[in-house]
Amino acid sequence: MAYSDKVVDHYNNPRNVGTLDKSSEEVGTGLVGAPECGDVMRLQIRVNPETQVIEDAKFKTFGCGSAIASSSLATEWVKGKTVSEALEIKNTDIVKELALPPVKIHCSVLAEDAIRAAIGDWKKKNGVAETATVAAAQ
Amino acid sequence: MTYFEVFSLPRKLSIDVAALEKQFYALSRRWHPDRFAARPQAEQEAALAQASLLNDAYRTLRDPVLRTQYLLRLLGVELEEQSKAATEAARASGTEKKQSVPPELLEEVFELNMQLAEMRAARQMGEDEPELRRDLLSAKDAFESKLDATDEELQQLWRVWDAAEDEGAQPAQTSARDAMVTLLNKRTYLRNLVRDVNEALESESGTQHHEI
Repeated sequence: MAYSDKVVDHYNNPRNVGTLDKSSEEVGTGLVGAPECGDVMRLQIRVNPETQVIEDAKFKTFGCGSAIASSSLATEWVKGKTVSEALEIKNTDIVKELALPPVKIHCSVLAEDAIRAAIGDWKKKNGVAETATVAAAQ
Repeated sequence: MTYFEVFSLPRKLSIDVAALEKQFYALSRRWHPDRFAARPQAEQEAALAQASLLNDAYRTLRDPVLRTQYLLRLLGVELEEQSKAATEAARASGTEKKQSVPPELLEEVFELNMQLAEMRAARQMGEDEPELRRDLLSAKDAFESKLDATDEELQQLWRVWDAAEDEGAQPAQTSARDAMVTLLNKRTYLRNLVRDVNEALESESGTQHHEI
């Protein structure tokens, strides 16, 4: 199977590989896995407490080229967005951007899961209610 | 025709593999192309199709994990579809998706992968990391015994599922099915790790061999 140019580019020059301080109040960490292939992905965000803007994002992924490209792209996309804007990223957007074939769609699902998990962790740390709870209360 | 039907077996997970093998050889002789060499084209092709189905069925059923995955597929379990649906549900409700394996396992898998990466990097620099290698070896032992435990647990679930099949006990069968899905998910991570550690350790001894 041939990878698209964009996947190859992200794979050869992954953006934002690395680690943020897990213990910081401003950092949310998401660790997720795809049981279909055994890939694991860690995505971290640093959120400005005043503006709720994601100012930095890092990832580390052990998996195939598509999983690495999906997480690399995810960090690029969340940077500069607010937390609620980042929650609007869908796995299908990633599929489109990277031209992922059907057998690699689960990699994009993993990246979306990682974004949500990182934001969920940050919300827990900062006592922000999940939107579902808010919606239910209204 | 299901793979179970190829061997006239009931749709059950506990299988006598020795008997399966015997039956496989008997059926292979029956469908052997040599026996159809003088027959019309259509019959030859049908025999070839039977022989190939037989091979697929045998390869799948003799392997405990492949057999379980096959039965789960027959039951309509689509792991990838389920995962995608869970992500979509999480997005719609604004909540976080529940991971299909325990978070501690993901942590362990991630940590061990970090160590593996460290070891590969050290090797590229031509450095020996005996301590790291020792750590990896002991981690590998731990994961191998987890893998063994997983396989034992799987066999217990087979017995539960099979008994429920006999008794028509639907709720018990459903919960055994779900437990098997969870177990196989966990198993994928363990199997990959053991494989990756083996590769890393093997290529290391390969390097040393070259230097001698």
